[in-house]
Amino acid sequence: MEKVQTNIWIGQEDLENGDKFIELANQEFSLVESVSDERNQNLFASNRRDFLKYLGFGLGAATMAAGCDIPVKRAIPYVVKPDAIVPGVATYYASSYVDGGDYAAILVKTRDGRPIKIEGNDLAPAGWGSTSARVQASVLGLYDTNRLATPIKKSGTDHMAVSWADLDADMIKSLATATNVRILKSTTISPTGNKALGEFVAKYPSTKVVSIDDQSYAGLLDANQASFGVRVIPGYNFDKAEVIVSFGADFLGTWVAPSKFAGDYVKMRQIKDVNAPKMSRHIQVESGMTLTGSNADNRILVRPSEQGAAISHLYNEIVGGGAPSAGLNEKAKKSLTVVAGELKAAAGKSLVVAGSNNMAEQLLINAINNALSNYGATIDFSQAILTKQGDDAGFAALLAEMKAGSVDLLIVDGANPVYSQAKGKEFATALAKVKTKIAIGLSKDETSSLCDYIATKPHFLESWGDAQPTATTISLIQPTIAPLFDSRQAELSYLTWAQSANLVATDQPYFEYLKANWQATAFAAQSEFATFDSFWDNALQLGVLPTPSSVSAGAFSGDVSASFGNVTKPGKSEIEISFYESISLGNGQYATNPWLQEMPNPIDRTVWGNYLAVPVNFDGYHTMEGLNKLVDGDLVKLTVGGEEFTVPVIQQFGQMPGTVAIAMGYGRTEAGACGTGVGVDVNPHRTMAGAYAQPFNTQVTVSNKIGKEDHFSCVQYHHTMGVKGEDKASGQTINADEAATVFFDYFTGIKGFQGSLTERSIIYTANTDEVKEKAEILHKKREHAQFLNSKQIYGGHDYNYASGHHWGMHIDLNACIGCGACTVACMSENNVPVVGKREVARHHEMTWLRIDRYYYGDVENPSTVYQPMMCQHCDNAPCENVCPVNATNHSSEGLNQMTYNRCIGTRYCANNCPYKVRRFNWLDYTTADTFPANQIKKFGEEIPFGAENLTRMVLNPDVTVRSKGVIEKCSFCVQRLQEGKLTAKREGRGLRDADVKTACQTSCPTGAITFGDMNSKDMLAEKLENPLNYIVLEEINVRPSVNYTMRITNKNEAIDA
Amino acid sequence: MSAPVSPIREPLVTGHKTYHQITEDLISPTEKTPSLAWVIGFIISAIFLGVFVFTVLWTIYQGIGTWNLNRTVGWGWDITNFVWWVGIGHAGTLISAILLIFRQKWRTGVNRAAEAMTIFAVICAGQFPLIHMGRIWMGFFIFPYPNTRGPLWPNFNSPLLWDVFAISTYFTVSLLFWYTGLVPDFATVRDRAKGIRKKIYNFLSFGWTGSAKHWQRWESLSLILAGLSTPLVLSVHTIVSFDFATSVIPGWHTTIFPPYFVAGAIFSGFAMVQTLMLVTRKVLHLEDYITIEHIESMNKVILLTGTIVGVAYITELFIAWYSGYIYEQFAFFNRVFGPYWWSYFGMMFCNVVSPQLYWKKSWRRNMILTFFLSIVINIGMWFERFVIIATTLARDYLPSSWSYYSPTWVEIGIFMGSLGLFFFCYLIFTRVAPVVAVAEIKAILKTSGDQYAGKNAVHAHSHDDEHSEVDAH
Repeated sequence: MEKVQTNIWIGQEDLENGDKFIELANQEFSLVESVSDERNQNLFASNRRDFLKYLGFGLGAATMAAGCDIPVKRAIPYVVKPDAIVPGVATYYASSYVDGGDYAAILVKTRDGRPIKIEGNDLAPAGWGSTSARVQASVLGLYDTNRLATPIKKSGTDHMAVSWADLDADMIKSLATATNVRILKSTTISPTGNKALGEFVAKYPSTKVVSIDDQSYAGLLDANQASFGVRVIPGYNFDKAEVIVSFGADFLGTWVAPSKFAGDYVKMRQIKDVNAPKMSRHIQVESGMTLTGSNADNRILVRPSEQGAAISHLYNEIVGGGAPSAGLNEKAKKSLTVVAGELKAAAGKSLVVAGSNNMAEQLLINAINNALSNYGATIDFSQAILTKQGDDAGFAALLAEMKAGSVDLLIVDGANPVYSQAKGKEFATALAKVKTKIAIGLSKDETSSLCDYIATKPHFLESWGDAQPTATTISLIQPTIAPLFDSRQAELSYLTWAQSANLVATDQPYFEYLKANWQATAFAAQSEFATFDSFWDNALQLGVLPTPSSVSAGAFSGDVSASFGNVTKPGKSEIEISFYESISLGNGQYATNPWLQEMPNPIDRTVWGNYLAVPVNFDGYHTMEGLNKLVDGDLVKLTVGGEEFTVPVIQQFGQMPGTVAIAMGYGRTEAGACGTGVGVDVNPHRTMAGAYAQPFNTQVTVSNKIGKEDHFSCVQYHHTMGVKGEDKASGQTINADEAATVFFDYFTGIKGFQGSLTERSIIYTANTDEVKEKAEILHKKREHAQFLNSKQIYGGHDYNYASGHHWGMHIDLNACIGCGACTVACMSENNVPVVGKREVARHHEMTWLRIDRYYYGDVENPSTVYQPMMCQHCDNAPCENVCPVNATNHSSEGLNQMTYNRCIGTRYCANNCPYKVRRFNWLDYTTADTFPANQIKKFGEEIPFGAENLTRMVLNPDVTVRSKGVIEKCSFCVQRLQEGKLTAKREGRGLRDADVKTACQTSCPTGAITFGDMNSKDMLAEKLENPLNYIVLEEINVRPSVNYTMRITNKNEAIDA
Repeated sequence: MSAPVSPIREPLVTGHKTYHQITEDLISPTEKTPSLAWVIGFIISAIFLGVFVFTVLWTIYQGIGTWNLNRTVGWGWDITNFVWWVGIGHAGTLISAILLIFRQKWRTGVNRAAEAMTIFAVICAGQFPLIHMGRIWMGFFIFPYPNTRGPLWPNFNSPLLWDVFAISTYFTVSLLFWYTGLVPDFATVRDRAKGIRKKIYNFLSFGWTGSAKHWQRWESLSLILAGLSTPLVLSVHTIVSFDFATSVIPGWHTTIFPPYFVAGAIFSGFAMVQTLMLVTRKVLHLEDYITIEHIESMNKVILLTGTIVGVAYITELFIAWYSGYIYEQFAFFNRVFGPYWWSYFGMMFCNVVSPQLYWKKSWRRNMILTFFLSIVINIGMWFERFVIIATTLARDYLPSSWSYYSPTWVEIGIFMGSLGLFFFCYLIFTRVAPVVAVAEIKAILKTSGDQYAGKNAVHAHSHDDEHSEVDAH
């Protein structure tokens, strides 16, 4: 290169412009080359840059290697994907819930092959597809850690695992030599199961089968046998009855088929025209407050031992000619006379039922219903209910045989007589005299732990089967998951032990057996389908099929004269106790289920234990005074039939003075970590009337307070909304509970603040004769509130929700019976953690949806209103503006949303929520967190509840599991809304309310909850037109999206007078 | 400092002090070995501080479930303590800022310690919003910092966020004010010190030389800071009261809260100053600087603010009745007669009844009564916050959710522990800094010291003009 300019140079070389410089200048990348040259020469020598590179890489690599423990993910993709499983999409299977005498046609929601939720089957006839809390919770039973993993055999005092082959060999050997085989089982309603059992009986002819129910209906069944020649429970049509009288039958809570009855019952409880309100009248005759009694229009209080006299009295009033009913209290007598008049006026449109397990009493009830021409109208034998077939006399005979030592081999199938029967302890002793005892069940219980073998059976969600709940319905049970444990269905065990020739050697022999039976019976009886396969596929898809009725009752055989002598004789003791079946736990058969243990008893709102309900009255000053001056949470010594219990007390409004009540189903001794030792067992103290156990006892004493319950687990401390009592000083009737809000009057004699509860806009009630006025008052009050709200300076964001979706809900307080199915459904759907007794006692329950229960009216015999309460999704939400980090905010569709990740847990939102529906994760309830120390062990187990992989299988993958320290609350099942929106979009149509149903809505047996889009003219819009609607706390202008309907009763004051 | 000496005012510095004597009296406590009383106090404080650390760690490790708060009562002792400590922290600023602007000379005897108290009280207060969080490790979410989440900002509508700004501003300004005042005094300590102490105090006093320019700038800065912090005295507790006043809960949703909270804060702050001063003057023998006159002045403030608070309580009750609004009416009825009646009674007695004793001059000047009442008042003010927070929440709109709340040992431990933290800091303060502002005392010596005031008193009637002239210097 030649130098062009001589007057500018860089450095001396440039100035000189020597050869070397020209050469260098021509090399464009001279520096790079020189470095690479150098490196080529000294491969292992390093310079400063290399040193830094190596240092950096080494440090980084070491940090990566040391710091990042890559988690092992056990997600294995399908080699061949099953058709039914699409990741992220739920699959529903029609099946049947048959457990402990309850039946429901259900749909099982599965995700990735795991059943996670139970829904009712809408295709089922006449309300059999509605669910109860027990049905909702049954899915958790599948993942019960207490379940036996293998069949077991007794060895010494303990049990050890045994193979099926060994067990069968032992059984067949024992059966071959046995001369007196007995099977004691809970009522089986499976046609195919009974066929299999039949094969067993045929093979071993000495076999006798005895059925029992956890809660016996033998008195009713035997009465029907005597009156009509059929030993069944007839179908009751509560939807056709204008006057309903129930003698202690808790038909909305526990009696026979409560979910079905509830659905029928509320059909007659709707006000269609505010100007001419018309609804059924329901009179409950009882001593303690039951769910059914709390929904009744009138309650007539009789002591448990007066029940027989009460029924006799009604018989005399209606039929006439019976023996005089001595010993019935005068008030009840007068009331029942009025009731008799009402019944007679509604002959053929009335219904009398009794919960009594006394055949004589049930015979009188039959006679009363017959005299009222109710048979064929409100009572229908062709629709007979088959779920209860227990035979108390048969059980007594079996017990006698066992005591005599004449039973060689006893199979106990699905029953727990040691716990559930009044003579359970005698049964346990007699069991020792039976040579071979084998139990068939899911887990160890009081009975099976005494048996030589336990043949483990699968959960119903893992089983094939069928069921005939009523005379006209058959349904199928299909498995929704492969058996989790080494279990075998009871039917298959019978067939195996019978060495049946009909057993096909396949993977699922009972499935083949079931199909063969259906081919021979149901398929043969129909003509719609030409091939069995198409019939079977259809049946599986529907879940429920109609069948011609198999029950035909004879005419009523009128002679009940012998009954008067056999009804319960009124007792003379100072105090009587009644035992009632727990709505959640039944007679203990559901005690192993934490969801049901944590579900508040709808009446006294307690959890995790049974509480002695004592009568309460107003002292005329400012105290609600319980029996023996007991208050909620006091411990007392309760003596029943000679046994002494220490039980906590709860003051129960509506409990008859001179009586107390306590739930059955508690105090189990072999019910796993969850159910063992929760509460006390009063089953053995039922009074026996022949073979029939009566749920009461007259030999009872209640001590004064002896202490305070450590963990008084009641979710509602204040029970009333204006109960009226007499003020002693002025003699005037005042709101007694408002007077009782005063704790200290500074010696001024101040009497509480009248109106402080009743003036609140939370609950509105009316009797049928005042609906119109009350509706006007409500209307005025709402208008005033809306006027005030319109005066706000702040414009609000209502325009945001005027278009698009605006989610809302309507809850009909006339339809809500308070059963609690929705609360369990909500826990199941939304992964709501179980917190245990200690935490509930500290008001740390996590339920997103609760049912507030308030008493109102007369303090001694009040009416009740239930109010499901969840996040109201306020459009002017007070929780949203106070969150410092925007963790809770409003969606464009009117949802109040929680962002768990953003929440720092100041709890300001919970404080500022007028409805107190926000829940805080006080501790690590879900075991989702990292500190093992705060994973509380609720039941004293080794691994906290919910930390087991087995239990975690029940979690809904669509819902985040919340960690310690964040707030959570009802989301209106936002995951379901999203799914509904996607469905509508995929199908290219607008969204309908039917696409989006919240978990509480689908679980409600009475259809009290309607959810939908307030901007559309659909199902919700219809409900919102009801003139009895209101919004809770409307005047504070938080603009909730949940509407309630005024609670209407149809009280006849003449009955109470 | 040029106000004429009043013939009827009592002297604010007694004992015929000279400038040197003042220096000796006030600086020497930082130089001597601590007294036995101090050592015992320090050990007890340290133990309580240990309790604080343990219970706080326990809460964070186990979860808020170690407290007895519940689904209905989401705040209890935690926020009660927070508001209580913030309230106590109000006296310092009031004394240093507002009284400075109003030229109240008696402030000089107590302002240093009161400001220190403010700072330590705000430190204690600041702990509670942090530890009451369910997820304290996510606490940084409350700061408006740029982030990659959108960016996602905190909710500027939330009074809790306003608290963050209010408290941090207040703390910063108070700290600056306090330290500004300390600079010349640190220089005095430095001038008397040797070795490493001298180096440290030299650093702390920013090389103060006492030149006229330094004094001039120091005076200007003090006035500017006083001007800045005057609105803070009113704003901080106003904002704290917004936590409640902007909510929808009856009993919280009250427009009277801002003035009522500010008056209450000053009330409790002065009570705490009294508690501290009475002990400090005794232990450090500062009776000549913190005179009975100071005590009485503060008791007058206590009487005034206590009465304001009492009027506020009664106004609340009246307005609740007058509102015709059933929830509001019940909320206040329940406060007085409900299950927490004892806390309302305690509050009324301690805050409204007890300060009325100060109408009598001799009782205002009674040390033992003052000390006793200062503690009673602080108990009462704690009750006030407890009444507002727990009683209100326990029985709000829906009777189904009504509940009752009492603390666990952890909550009690945290409260007692926060007292430990406070006294731990205060005791260290008495060892490292002059507890009375030396420079400011010297500044008033000639106008309000007893030897001068005494002479003035004698000649007051005949030499008014002459004294005005002297003062002008």
